[in-house]
Amino acid sequence: MKFLPFVLRNLARNKLRSLLTASAIALAIALVCILRTMPAGMDAFLSSIASNTRISTHNEAGMVYQMPYSYLQKVRAVPGVVAAISWQWFGGAVDASRGVEFPNFAVDPEDFGRVYEDWNVSQQALDDFRKYRDAAIVGRGTLEKKGWKLGDVITLQSTLFGLELSFRIVGEVPNPRAVQLYFQREYLVQAFAALGTPLDSTGMIWSRIDDPERVGPVMRQIDEMFRNGEAETTSETEKSFFGNFFGSLKGIVTVIMIVAGIVTLCIVFIAANTASMSVRERVGEIAILKAIGFRSRTIFTTLLAEAVLLSTVAGAAGALISLALTSLLRSSLVSTGPQLGPLTGFVVTDAILVQAIFIAFFIGILSGWLPALGASRRSVAQTLREVF
Amino acid sequence: MALPISYSWRSLIARGTRTTFTVLVIALVVIATTLFWSLIASLKRTLVSSGSPENLVVMRKGATNDGSSQLTLESLQAIRFFEGIARDADGNPLISPELVVQPFFATTDGGRENVLVRGVEPMALRVHDEVVIAEGRMFTPSSGETVVGRGVSRRYKGASLGDELKFGRGTWKVVGILEAGGSSFESEVWVDARELANDAKRTLPYSGVRLRVAPGADMDALVRRIGDDPRYALEATREIDYYESLSSSANTLYVIVIGLAVLAGVGAVFGATNTMYAAVQSRTAEIGTLRALGFSRGSILLAFLSESVMMALFAFALGAIGASLLGRSISWLLGGIAFGAATFTTNVIQLHVAAGDLLMPLALSLLIGVFGGLAPAARAARMRPVDALRKA
Amino acid sequence: MIDLENVSRVYQRGADVIHALENVSLHVPRGRFVALMGPSGSGKSTLLNVLAGLDRPSSGEVTVAERRLNELSEDELAEFRAQTVGFVFQFFNLIPVLSALENVELPLLLTNLPRADRRRRAETALRVVGLSDRASHLPRQLSGGEQQRVAIARAIVTDADLVVADEPTGDLDARNAEEILSLLQTLKRDFNKTVVIVTHDPRAEKWVDEVIHLDKGVLLETRPGGGSREMAVSR
Repeated sequence: MKFLPFVLRNLARNKLRSLLTASAIALAIALVCILRTMPAGMDAFLSSIASNTRISTHNEAGMVYQMPYSYLQKVRAVPGVVAAISWQWFGGAVDASRGVEFPNFAVDPEDFGRVYEDWNVSQQALDDFRKYRDAAIVGRGTLEKKGWKLGDVITLQSTLFGLELSFRIVGEVPNPRAVQLYFQREYLVQAFAALGTPLDSTGMIWSRIDDPERVGPVMRQIDEMFRNGEAETTSETEKSFFGNFFGSLKGIVTVIMIVAGIVTLCIVFIAANTASMSVRERVGEIAILKAIGFRSRTIFTTLLAEAVLLSTVAGAAGALISLALTSLLRSSLVSTGPQLGPLTGFVVTDAILVQAIFIAFFIGILSGWLPALGASRRSVAQTLREVF
Repeated sequence: MALPISYSWRSLIARGTRTTFTVLVIALVVIATTLFWSLIASLKRTLVSSGSPENLVVMRKGATNDGSSQLTLESLQAIRFFEGIARDADGNPLISPELVVQPFFATTDGGRENVLVRGVEPMALRVHDEVVIAEGRMFTPSSGETVVGRGVSRRYKGASLGDELKFGRGTWKVVGILEAGGSSFESEVWVDARELANDAKRTLPYSGVRLRVAPGADMDALVRRIGDDPRYALEATREIDYYESLSSSANTLYVIVIGLAVLAGVGAVFGATNTMYAAVQSRTAEIGTLRALGFSRGSILLAFLSESVMMALFAFALGAIGASLLGRSISWLLGGIAFGAATFTTNVIQLHVAAGDLLMPLALSLLIGVFGGLAPAARAARMRPVDALRKA
Repeated sequence: MIDLENVSRVYQRGADVIHALENVSLHVPRGRFVALMGPSGSGKSTLLNVLAGLDRPSSGEVTVAERRLNELSEDELAEFRAQTVGFVFQFFNLIPVLSALENVELPLLLTNLPRADRRRRAETALRVVGLSDRASHLPRQLSGGEQQRVAIARAIVTDADLVVADEPTGDLDARNAEEILSLLQTLKRDFNKTVVIVTHDPRAEKWVDEVIHLDKGVLLETRPGGGSREMAVSR
């Protein structure tokens, strides 16, 4: 510790060089942090799906294929199914020219609360949801983004059906990552009836199972029940469903991670270059230190400490920069729609920050190791011969 | 008197390690930014290149894309004979009614994606004249056959030529591969419209219609006529505008990518400047000698600036090649990169580094070379010969 | 104090094999002020390095302050140097980012002395060389002669028995050179230190007790210097 002032003084020796190197490292670490929010957002989303007893049932051919609405009753009758509701995609847009900004569905209100117990929707909201035909429950993420409050009346134009419906917001899903809007199926059925066409099909069925162990058998039973029927079904766990849904983003995430890796490599080179430059020009000085009696190990440690200190402090600065930049990104970006989904959360979590500082620390060690080792091992006599 | 360019060139070679380091750093930055840029550019190229300027897309009013629209048979019959629609030699209107469905396809690595399956009539190939059957042949109607886009054929199970492709409620034989100049049609699967309606149990047989406007006809008038018709709630858009609006979802990604590229670029400028400063510092004696010999400040400035620009350009060349190779490998390994451009559809893009994609990285490299070298070079030039020699 | 027996030192420089020292035997008693002199390439610097524990001989035995240097490991040699030897070089003596006082304090960082004690001893050493008023100056703010004096202060701050200096006056003008040589003589006279310098400055002869001549790695002759004559005269 008594060597710390010495280490600091050496860094200050060539202030410009230290500053340039630190800036390069800081910016690169900021970049890596921002990049890593993307897959981290995906992981967070998938792991936030806490329930392992909720399953989805959809037409085997595809999500956009319908199933008969009567399937819901049959699913409810399967032993092990505690409660089940249907989801019908409405495809509503606030502004037709901007398209669908958040997912919205017509659902069965009676069992909504039971299927989604873990979402902590307030009892009052659930009661109102059942009571009022035009009631809607909205995820907090969308409420915040659109500036809506409980009690507001909003209108959505369906891009799928030629319908425009107004909804009264009676409750929220209190999770800031939740963006969906749910309204009463009956409301949609009535709108269809007014057009003279009946609505007797649905897109998906979500069920809650009583026991995690029974999930597999129940899913098989449901699919078996509908085999060779009007529409064959596939049932899967909620996690699997969303994993598949966003699975196609895997490619983009891979490219992002590769880029992040390349940038990190870059930083190591920049830092290593600096370390070796700064050590090379002190060859004579280091020889004197060894002559006075400083051991190789001590010299190695102080030289390495320079690189590590510079890197780590720069990394911390970069992490802070990433916090500022992501908050800027979040507030300025217009909605990206549900396609990119959790990738564009841009939330720099504590985990990412800590990892960034560790990465910076290791970069310091990696980049400073060889130059420090080389310098500490140089024979004093040889150096004196060459320098003098 | 100017210093010969060989001075700069030889100096770079003489200081091999230092030059290598800087070149590597800049090359890596070029690779990183090029990959990102190409990702988005490939996507935009796919979407924006889709569509023909002479075609119109007709959908139900309010629908934002093919998949969420339905048309009645009457509405189709009504607009068939509107004025302004092109006709073939036999007088048949070039109008292609289509049904769009998005079933699940199993990817070769065990995933599941929504793919756009387009049910078409034979007229489709004439209306979409950028689509060609590159391998095999067009499917025969009512035969359970299908042709798949180039991007699709390698990504999904059973999608190669001659294979049995499973989607919807049935199995379809792949008899041809279609290509469309890299546009989004290459991410689609085409089948007979009637078979598809049957398979998907659609009561309304078509989602929308594509039609070719007659050469010289008033396109806007036709669009208005279709939109104003009180009997059917229809809306017509120019096909290229339609695809452009779909590509807007990539804009956010564009902004992010540019931002990140800027960040990386600035970092690289710092790194390069660092190296150039060191280069200057270690050559004070040399500079002093040159100045004493009579070389002007300007010539020293130019010489050092040339060095850093040469390094940057060389690094750019390396990085461009590296990015191209890397991009191809990634695409090949992953079977294309998927992106959901519109809800519920997957666009498969090949990460391809086009010449146009390299403009930004080139500009970045030059910027790094110029700015990275400017300040140090100016410092070198400003040194007084006496000081420089004394320091030696 | 210093005993060398049949010491040779051979090393490689590029493709050449250099015989820097050939069978040199030497004895320097405690409290002597000795100058190693000779033409360039005579091996005098190598000899200094060997007796200061900076370099190992290829053959022969080196004993300094009753310690056999041949038997010591690298770390032990470092310890030996820290405790027993003070160094003054021609260039790069001082760490540019440390003040004069901090430079003098440097060897004390290797001890367990608390900070206050380290400071005090460094101040004392600076006072001995007459530079107390320059304590907070950086090396670049000091003249060549002042820098050397700071180096000397550092050489004595641990109270080392042996002080070695390689061309201490090489870079200095006449007046400064004389000041340095006088200071070195004071170390021997007032503090009973053994001082060995390497120099090709003929002025040094009148300050030292003994002059040892080398050429081509071989010890030629040993002559008494002006210092010893002065002592003889003053007695």
